[in-house]
Amino acid sequence: MNRLTHLPTLRIRPAEKRSLTYQGKTFQGVAGDTVATALFAGGVRIFARSLKYHRPRGLYSLDGECSNTCMDVDGIPNVRTENTLLKDGMQVKAQNVVGSADRDWMSFIDKLSWMMPAGFYYKTLHKPAAIWPLAMKCIRKAAGLGVISADYETRGGYDERYLRAEVTVIGGGAAGMCAALAAAESGQRVVLVESRPQLGGCFDYRVVPMDGKPLYQRSRELAEKVEETPNIRVFKHTPVIGSYTDNLITAFQVGGPDDAFTERYLEIRTDSVVVATGCIERPLIFENNERPGIMQVGCAHRLARTYGLLPGNEAVFSVGHDLGLEAAVDLFDLGLKIPCVADARQDGQNPDLLLALADRRIPVLKGWVATEARGRKRVKGVTLATVEGTVSRQFACDLLVASAGLTPVTGPLILAGAKMHYDSHTGYFLPSELPEKMFAAGRLTGLNDPVAIEVSGRLAGLKAAMAAGADTGSSASDAQQALSALPGPDRGCKLVTAPVKGDKSFLCFDEDATIKNIRQAIDQGFDVPELVKRFTSAGTGPGQGGVPGHNLPLYVAKYTAAAKSTAPAPRRAPLAPALATAAAGGTPQPLFDRPPLTPFQMGDAGSLQDLSSAGTGGVLPIDAAQRMAAMDTPKPTTMRPPLVPTFIVTYAGSNHRMLKRTPLHRYQIADGGIFRNIGVWQRARYFSEDFDCREEILNVRNNVGMMDGSTLGKFRIHGPDAVKALQRVYVSDMSKARQGRIKYSAMCNDDGCVMDDGVVVKLGENDYYFTTSTGRAGQTVEWIRYHTRFDGWDFHLVNLTDAMGVINLSGPNARKVLEKVVEIDVSNAAFPFSAYREFFIRDTIFVRAMRLGFVGELSYELHAPASYMKAVWDMLKDAGAEFGIRNFGVEAQNVLRMEKCHIILGQESEQRTNLLDLGLGFLWDRTKTEAKTVGAVALRQAEKDPGRLKLVGIRMEDDDRPARDGALIVDTRVCGYVATLRKSFTTGQAVGMALVESQLSDIGTRLEIFEDECNGVRRYARVVEMPFYDPKGERMKN
Amino acid sequence: MALTLTCPICGKRNGYEFRYGGEDKGPRPAEEGLTPTAWCDYVHMNKCTVGVQKEWWCHRDGCGTWFTTFRDTTKNIESKSPEERK
Repeated sequence: MNRLTHLPTLRIRPAEKRSLTYQGKTFQGVAGDTVATALFAGGVRIFARSLKYHRPRGLYSLDGECSNTCMDVDGIPNVRTENTLLKDGMQVKAQNVVGSADRDWMSFIDKLSWMMPAGFYYKTLHKPAAIWPLAMKCIRKAAGLGVISADYETRGGYDERYLRAEVTVIGGGAAGMCAALAAAESGQRVVLVESRPQLGGCFDYRVVPMDGKPLYQRSRELAEKVEETPNIRVFKHTPVIGSYTDNLITAFQVGGPDDAFTERYLEIRTDSVVVATGCIERPLIFENNERPGIMQVGCAHRLARTYGLLPGNEAVFSVGHDLGLEAAVDLFDLGLKIPCVADARQDGQNPDLLLALADRRIPVLKGWVATEARGRKRVKGVTLATVEGTVSRQFACDLLVASAGLTPVTGPLILAGAKMHYDSHTGYFLPSELPEKMFAAGRLTGLNDPVAIEVSGRLAGLKAAMAAGADTGSSASDAQQALSALPGPDRGCKLVTAPVKGDKSFLCFDEDATIKNIRQAIDQGFDVPELVKRFTSAGTGPGQGGVPGHNLPLYVAKYTAAAKSTAPAPRRAPLAPALATAAAGGTPQPLFDRPPLTPFQMGDAGSLQDLSSAGTGGVLPIDAAQRMAAMDTPKPTTMRPPLVPTFIVTYAGSNHRMLKRTPLHRYQIADGGIFRNIGVWQRARYFSEDFDCREEILNVRNNVGMMDGSTLGKFRIHGPDAVKALQRVYVSDMSKARQGRIKYSAMCNDDGCVMDDGVVVKLGENDYYFTTSTGRAGQTVEWIRYHTRFDGWDFHLVNLTDAMGVINLSGPNARKVLEKVVEIDVSNAAFPFSAYREFFIRDTIFVRAMRLGFVGELSYELHAPASYMKAVWDMLKDAGAEFGIRNFGVEAQNVLRMEKCHIILGQESEQRTNLLDLGLGFLWDRTKTEAKTVGAVALRQAEKDPGRLKLVGIRMEDDDRPARDGALIVDTRVCGYVATLRKSFTTGQAVGMALVESQLSDIGTRLEIFEDECNGVRRYARVVEMPFYDPKGERMKN
Repeated sequence: MALTLTCPICGKRNGYEFRYGGEDKGPRPAEEGLTPTAWCDYVHMNKCTVGVQKEWWCHRDGCGTWFTTFRDTTKNIESKSPEERK
C-alpha cells in the first residue's frame, strides 16, 4: 500500500523501515507505525475473530477501545496492537481462530447466534448437570481471547516511579497542554500525561485553520512550548490507570527504544488535577456495524493524516458530529471518493463545512443514518435510511466511516468519585459536581471550537494552580471572561440506534452483545444498566466501557421507556423526508422503500433526540411527549480501575532483592558458607555439603566453633523512664536487672502469646542494653513505643542491630581462644556464666561480651561495632587455629540448641503459643501489676485453661528415622505437631520437641506421628525428659 | 493506597509509610476491679465507626512516632477533628 509521505501531519518516519512477521509473511512498516497500522499498510483488514461468533473484525477506533485488534505479539496474548508501537522483528499472531483470521473454521458459529440469547450460558448447559464439564470444555475452546503459553517468561524491564507534583494534567491535547502551561506559569511543578505516543490530541491530525494556522501546526507549537518548560514533566504514551482520593493518579508509561524499561508504573501524588481527556467516538449501532472496513471518523482520519494510509477507495460517511464532516472534506482532498455523507442530525451542522462539502460535490443527507452494512468479510455496500427508517438508499463502498457522535472520556473523574448525570444539551454523561481539586477542560466538556478548547484548558490550569496554593486568581477570572465570550458546548447528536431490529447490531464488540441481547435482558426484568451489563456481559471485555459505555445506558433508558408506555403507539405517518442533498448535488438517486418497522423502533430514533429538540419546536412525533414523561433519564454505568488493560508485571515492577547482609557476609562466603534467606537477612546455614552438619556440631561439642550472630536484634534504651518501659513489655521484673549480669526474659502480646525473647543488661543508671530475636528486630521500637504511647514517659530507644555485629564463640576450648585475644581475666571466676563484661581488644575494639549457653557449651557472645567485625573474626580465627576452630552455621546451631531444649520462637512456637505453653512461666513475675504488663492478664486467665498445647521433649522409637519438622501428632485427629526433630550426633538418638495437647504431655506417652506422603505408615515417638544433653548445665556453666 | 496522613513531625506523607495501630480506646484500664470481659473488650472489641473515627498510626518508615489522627472510614481520607470540623 502506498503511503502518503508528503503530509506535514505525519507521525511516521517513512525512511526508517521496521518489519514484523505475521502468518509466515514479513510485513514492512516504518518507524512510528503501530503494529496495527503496519499490518493495515500490508493489506491486512481482518485482525481478529470475535469472542463468541467468530465474526471478522478490523480497525475501528485506532485507540484500542475494543478487542478487535487484540493480537498475540511476541508470545504475549491480548496485546492492543493499535496502541503498540512497531519494533523490528515482532512476531504477530491472530487469536481465537481455527485456521487464520481471514479463514476461520469457526466462523459458522455466527449463523448460530439465534441459539445464544442473553444469559444462555447461565441458563442452559447445566441441565442435566453432567453435560456441564463437556459443555464448558467446548465453550472455552470455541470462545475467548488469546492464550498464554505455560512456558512464557516475561522479558524486558519493568520499573516504577513515584512522582510528586502540585498540578497533574491528564491528557496532552490542546486543552491539556494549555492547562499545563498555565499552571506552570506560577512556578508550580506540573506533570502532564498523555496516552498516545505524541502530544496534540484531536488537533494533531487536523488541518482546519485556527487564527490562520492549521490546527496540527498550532498543537505542535504548543507541544514544543510544553516540552521546553522546565517545570512541566511530560509523560507520553502513558495511559492513566486510575485516580483515587487525595488526588493520587496512577498510570503506566510505555518505554521507547531509548528507555531502559519496557513499561513503567507511575504513582503521582498531586495537589490538584486537570482532566482534559477529550472524547472518544460513540459507535453507531446498525446491522453489521463492526464489519472490517467500517471505522470511526478519528480512525479513518488518523490513518491518513498520522500514518499516511488512505483507509479505502470509496467511502460512505454516516456521522453525527462536525468532526465527521471535516474528515470527509479532508479525506476527499487526499484522494478518497465519497459518494455520500449521511448526518444523523437534522440541523446544527457547521455551515462552512456544508459549504466545503458542496464545493466538492459531496451529497449530504441530513437526518439520515446507515442501517445495514453489506459484505461478508469486508464491507461492500451500505444501506442508508432516514433516522425514522421511512426511506432508504443503497450505496456501494469499501469503507464506511460510522460514528454516532462523541462521548467524553470521564474515567478519571468517575474513579475519583464524581457523580455523573445525563446532560440533555450535549447528550453526554457529565459530572454534576467535580471532585475536590479536580477540574475538567476541553472537548470533554462538550466544546468543539478550537479557541474555546484552548481557553478552557488555560482556565482549568489556572484554577488547578490556585487550588494547589498559587495566586492565579486574576488570570483565572480573565480566562473565565474570555471563555464566556466563545462558543459553548455543541448540541450533541442524540441518535441512539439506527432504525433496525438489531439481530446483528453490536453494542459491545468485545463480548458480541447486540441490542437484541440487551432487549432480551430487559424483557427478563433487568432494568438498570449495571444489571443489564452483568447479564449480557456488554462492557466487561478488554475495552471495558470504551465501545458500549455510552450507548448501553442510552439504549436501556430508551427501551425501558418504550416498554413502559402502556398504550400501543399509533402507527405514525412517515415524516416529511428530511433528505437534503447538497446544493450542488448530482442527480438524485432512486429511493428505496423500506418495509415498515415496528412503531417502537421508528419512534426510537426520535425519542432521545426529542429530549433536546422538544424545546426548539422541532419535529416531535405525537406520542413522543407521552413517552418523554415515561422516559427514564439514562443512568451511566460505573467504572473501576484499571481504566486501560494493564499487565500485572507492570504493577509488580522489577523484582528487587531486598535482603540484608551481615558485616561478615563476604568472609563466610570465602569460608564456604551456604546461605539461605531467613527473614530480611541472608545467613550462612551450612559450611559444607553435609546438610546434617555432623562435623560442625561435633566440633562445637568437643572443641570450639564460631558463628556469625550479627542478625540478632540489639537495642539501647536509656532515660529516666527506661525501666518503666521495660517493665511494660517484658514479663519479668526488670527492676531486678543488675549491672554486670544478663537477664533472660520474654515479651508477650496482650493475649499472652510470646512475641520475643532475649536478654537485658543494665549498663548503668537508667541505661540498658537488650537483644531480641532476629525476626523481631524490625518491630521492637514500634512495639515498645506503642505500648507506652499513653504514658508520656521519658526514654530513648536506639536500634543498634545494624551498627553492631555479633560473634558466638562456643565449645570447651572457647575460653582458651578468647584468652589469647583479650587482656582481661576471662576465667570462670572472673567471667562466670550469665555475666556481662565490657572490654577493649587491643585498646581499640570495644566489645560487649555475654556468657551465654544457647548451644549448651561454654560460650561467649561478643558484640562489636560492625566496622570492626572482620578484625575480631580474623583474630579469633588466628587464635583458634591451634585448637581447630571451625565455623558453624545456623543449622548446626539449631541442632545444638535443640539438644539442650532451648527454644527458637517461630519454631517451637506459633501465633497462638503463650509463655506457659513453652514452659517459660518462670519468667513471668506475678507480683507485677498485671494490667500494666503486656500479656499478664491473659496469662492469668490461660493458667486455668486445660485445653492448651504443651511443649514436650520427644524421642523417636526408631532413632534412624527422625520425623520431619512440622509432622502432625495424631490419634483419630490432630493433637499436636513436631516443632524440631533431628538425629542427635551427640546422644545418638532421634530427639526433638513437639507441641502436644496436655493429656499427651506426660513422660512416657506414646505419640503417633503422621508425615506428608507417609502412605498410611505412621511413626511413633515417646515423650521424654528435657533436655537431652547435659541436663545439669555443667558444660555451659563451667 | 490513596491515603495520605499527617505526621506531627514529618507532615503530610504517603499512606504507605504508616502502620495502623487501631482505634483509639484510651489508656490501659486500671488493675482494680478489672473483669476478664472488660479486659477482653478493651483488647479485642472495636467500634468500627462508619464515618470519622480517632485512630493510632505509626510513622514506621519515617520518624517512628505513634500519633492519633482522624480518618473518615467511608472515604478513607484523613479528616479534621470533631472540634475543627464545627
